[in-house]
Amino acid sequence: MQTLTYEFPAQKVISRQVHVGVVGSGDLEILLEPPSADQPTNSAVVRVRTSVDGFDSLWREVLRRFFVADALAGSWELNDFGATPGVVTLRLRQAAEAAAGGTA
Amino acid sequence: MTSRLLIAGETWQELLTRQSFIELDALRRVESLADPGSVRVLCGPFARIESPWLVPQGITPQSDDGTVIARATIGGRPTVIAAIEQRFSGGGTGEVSGAKISQALLLACNDSRNGTPTAAIILFETGGVRLQEANLGLNAVAEICSAVLDLRESAAVIGVVAGTVGSFGGMSIAAGLCSHLVVTPEARIGLNGPAVIESEAGAEEFDSTDHALIWSIDGGQQRHATGLADTLVPDDSVAIREAVAEAVAAGVPDQSRCRSRRLDVLAARLATMDPLHPPAPGDLRKLWGGTYEIPAELQTITRPTSSEVAATQAGSRGSTWIHAFAGDEDVTALAGSVLRADTATATYLAVVHDPANPYHRARDGQVGLTESLTLALAVHDIVQSDRPAPTKRAIVAVVDVPSQAYGRLEEMAGLHQAMAATVDTYHAARSAGHPIVALVVGTALSGGFLTHGLQANQILALDDPGVEIHAMHKAAAAKITLRTEEQLDELAKTIVPMSYSVEDWATLGFCDGLLKVENPEAPTAADVTYVDHAIIEAIARARSGPWDLSNRLNSAGAIKLRQASRHVRDALSREWDTGD
Repeated sequence: MQTLTYEFPAQKVISRQVHVGVVGSGDLEILLEPPSADQPTNSAVVRVRTSVDGFDSLWREVLRRFFVADALAGSWELNDFGATPGVVTLRLRQAAEAAAGGTA
Repeated sequence: MTSRLLIAGETWQELLTRQSFIELDALRRVESLADPGSVRVLCGPFARIESPWLVPQGITPQSDDGTVIARATIGGRPTVIAAIEQRFSGGGTGEVSGAKISQALLLACNDSRNGTPTAAIILFETGGVRLQEANLGLNAVAEICSAVLDLRESAAVIGVVAGTVGSFGGMSIAAGLCSHLVVTPEARIGLNGPAVIESEAGAEEFDSTDHALIWSIDGGQQRHATGLADTLVPDDSVAIREAVAEAVAAGVPDQSRCRSRRLDVLAARLATMDPLHPPAPGDLRKLWGGTYEIPAELQTITRPTSSEVAATQAGSRGSTWIHAFAGDEDVTALAGSVLRADTATATYLAVVHDPANPYHRARDGQVGLTESLTLALAVHDIVQSDRPAPTKRAIVAVVDVPSQAYGRLEEMAGLHQAMAATVDTYHAARSAGHPIVALVVGTALSGGFLTHGLQANQILALDDPGVEIHAMHKAAAAKITLRTEEQLDELAKTIVPMSYSVEDWATLGFCDGLLKVENPEAPTAADVTYVDHAIIEAIARARSGPWDLSNRLNSAGAIKLRQASRHVRDALSREWDTGD
């Protein structure tokens, strides 16, 4: 297992917690929280814990692309069990949609 | 069996519009069972009560440890729902996920006793104890079983096994304790999974690639057709919700009707089974019938009497120690594999080797069908005969069990249900005020220990390398967790619940005495005196201590090593009423 941390510029501030996904084979769970009082409102802080080691740059690229399109500020925690980049992006979008008011 | 039950709908249009339950994750399953808008999740993902044991092993944890606990109403009645997420860790029971379930049941029990009957619904999708948390998972299952029985006195405990994982391992004992069990045709319920049996006993015992065979034995339809499940419904959220709502509306269960209390039925059913010429799974439906009652046509098999079998017992630690406590003339063979001895101190019970056991998978001291029934009858007999007595006799479970019996026949007959009967009687004895002391003199593994030992108020163990307490023996655990035995030994140095050393086990918080003797194989007179004295002290502690299993959480060891369990219990209790 590897723990990776990233930070991306973000503008939109969400107002509620969102949880999507499950730490099952080929999948991941995401916990998204609005920035706390002592955290900046213009950045997304991402912590990834992944069962597959050695894909730091791929994670960075997948996340970077997502945050270009959906710049949601706050704390993002990803618990990954070998999800492919496509699944990761889908889960990120799902979390963003849920944060915007859709159903998680 | 009508086609209506096989599939959700009569036509393909109906089939397309049904909402599958199996495809839902744990939270959606909870939501689909509950009255709309009534679900309140306790200790959810943002409480972040993860397993503390997975990250050090390089395994990604899940924020709710794969178990959703929610308060909700069903048909307007208060309930608590515990849903195991089958996709995380195969639904394995860990320290945190297990503590969440048992504490939710105990809180429901508290409310029920205080005038608000709160039924529990447990969604079983589990391969059993999470081997990465081995001994803590095993104990968690024992605590869940105890809590199911505590609650069942005052509210319904409804089990749902929908699939696809099904219910296996010790949690199936808990399923066997439920007052009502709902299954789908896709469900499977068994004690030992097919792959485990195959790995223990070979493909001729159980071919784990033969799906038709697996479902003919463990499948939801078979369990229902043999009275081991109450309601069979298709994989349809509406049908499952209706079945659960009906069971909730039925109110407080009649204890005497619960399967795990029906020792008469278990005895009668097993009496019709000839292990040397076992019925086919299809014939078992006719032989036993679809209700859990004494079969109409009893074809009892002639069995050897105790005196005939007593001579066949080979030496084993269990046998050696029970004879050491009581002297040969006071030891009775209740069955070829179960010994009882009555002394001034207590009644001792031991499962021992029985080379002539007609159940060939239970010849080396394993707990199988006969052993579960015999133990249950013995404990029940003690409780009944002591009913008028103000001071209840102590019961000592002398434990030397290599495992439960891994066999196809055992699974077909529902070993999980037989074990549930034993667990129920031990719990009933403890609740009635009989001090129960488990004395581990040899191996205490897995379902064997859950059945014979882990419901005790006090657990003592000999401090000896030959004593091994674990969720699974090392070779099998290595195979299943994809590690070598050397890697397991290395991990055990830091992951205490995985250790096979009894000294490490003793630090987990549920050891009430580690006893160093001179010769555990052939105890000296001094050894026997010393251990008997320790038992007398344990009995005294049991008489003055709690009659539930809370001492395992409040001991000095637990305060140090079961912090996660204690944290879960506190957090759930806080959130139960206040909602924050």
